[in-house]
Amino acid sequence: MADVLSPALQDRPAPDKVPDVHISIRNVEKVYRSQRGSVVALENVSLDVAKGEFVSILGPSGCGKSTLLKCIAGLEPLSGGEIFVGRQRVAEPPKDLGVVFQRDILFDWRTTLDNVLVTVEFLGLKRRDYEARARSLLATYGLAGYENRYPWELSGGQRQRVAICRAMVHDPQFLLMDEPFGALDALTRDELNLELQNRWFADRKTIIFITHGISEAVFLSDRVIVMGRNPGRIIADVKIDLPRPRGVAVRDTAAFTAYTGRLRAIMDDANAGITHAGVLS
Amino acid sequence: MSDKVRDRLSGLAWVLAIFVAIAVVWEAAVKFFGVPLFILPPIEDVITELFSSPALFLRNAAFTVATAMGGFAIAVIVGILLSVMIVSSRLLERIFMTLLAVIHSIPKVALAPLFVIWLGTGFEPKLAIAAMMAVLVVVVDTVAGMRSVDPEMLNLARVTHASPLAILLKIRFPAALPQIFAAMKAAISLSVVGAIVGEYVGGQSGLGYVIIVAQGSFDTPRAFAAVLLLSIIATALFYTVVWAESLFIPWHVSQRPRPAG
Repeated sequence: MADVLSPALQDRPAPDKVPDVHISIRNVEKVYRSQRGSVVALENVSLDVAKGEFVSILGPSGCGKSTLLKCIAGLEPLSGGEIFVGRQRVAEPPKDLGVVFQRDILFDWRTTLDNVLVTVEFLGLKRRDYEARARSLLATYGLAGYENRYPWELSGGQRQRVAICRAMVHDPQFLLMDEPFGALDALTRDELNLELQNRWFADRKTIIFITHGISEAVFLSDRVIVMGRNPGRIIADVKIDLPRPRGVAVRDTAAFTAYTGRLRAIMDDANAGITHAGVLS
Repeated sequence: MSDKVRDRLSGLAWVLAIFVAIAVVWEAAVKFFGVPLFILPPIEDVITELFSSPALFLRNAAFTVATAMGGFAIAVIVGILLSVMIVSSRLLERIFMTLLAVIHSIPKVALAPLFVIWLGTGFEPKLAIAAMMAVLVVVVDTVAGMRSVDPEMLNLARVTHASPLAILLKIRFPAALPQIFAAMKAAISLSVVGAIVGEYVGGQSGLGYVIIVAQGSFDTPRAFAAVLLLSIIATALFYTVVWAESLFIPWHVSQRPRPAG
């Protein structure tokens, strides 16, 4: 496929020229038009994510981070720019993608195991080939013995674990997670963060993780992208240089708190920028 | 004894107690006020009447049950098929919803004599009336159920490239089942009404026919016996649907064990 790039992009290499780039977001614009006028949800968003990289997108509500995720997932058409996953330009949801949504959206009428396997059924793959993998995934998330339970018999944390297994059952190389732990209590959230980090360290999927939790973003990520609102745009790209695998104790280190402090300052400045429009830009 | 069984038994005891209370009040009122037999017969006369000609009541009850259940089945099947079409296309929605609203606004009782002209005095016109009475509620509830699917579930379906058929069968239909069962509970009662209306206007079978004939000869105990039987049948049919509901959607919030306290 010959990549036809807009003039502004010609100084940047095409994705197939940089071997490590897995997701390439280029000058993405998203405008919602309605009768009451148009709202710019995303303005000139560009971002490259390397294969096996864990990138968090951090921002206040209304900064367009969920919109960006929907664009990457191929659920929303772009108003401008392009997104590549691998060499494929995103026009419809990319294959080889797993998505964890804000809510677990488990099907009440399916057991835990059947909820995980729904991905396989929808993709038109054979259930038989994936049942063993589904069971072992559930086991790694502490859900062995829960295969035949219904969602309402599970706790909030267990439900979101099932949703993660559902996103991973077909072994995608790329995961999108949209504030997956936002609705959970602090303790469960810490547990799931640790599990996710260990899991990622073991199989190195490319993950884009949307969150509004600063500590969560630093703990999990190789890089934290900060977004600001009005319009939604990237305002900072912070590399997190902390040794892996990270344990809970990393949060008490000076390096960790330096990162969270810096990110908080960036976000506070951006927030202030809303009331004094133009000051920061 | 499990809690569930105890719950059932206490529920049954309540029902029995209420029936006994009604019978006592009825009997007392008839005796105390000296109500004539052709206005309100004492309850023992009604029960005696029921057992004096069991074959007659059984045969006609069977006819009414068959009509009501047949009409109900048609209403549910046709209703769900229409709902699928309505949910899948704006054009079909406009067409069918308008047609259904028009059909529903016509009192079915007014149409019943026409059905006799079109379909005769046999089983078919009664079946048609019973089905027509019940179909709209099925369509309205099923469409609402299929529409109210969580949009995030549809996003999940899109990112996993689910086919339209899979979305229908594996998301929309199961998600709508609670509403479908709610509709079925209303539909079963409506199709019993439809069956009776059909029997009133033509033919020589069914409890509706028994009531009409008894009325003609001021045989009030017989009419009451038929009504009593009819209410037992309607109640039994209703609880059959309730039972089926607990069987088919054990996962729904309405079917889960109630928390203690």
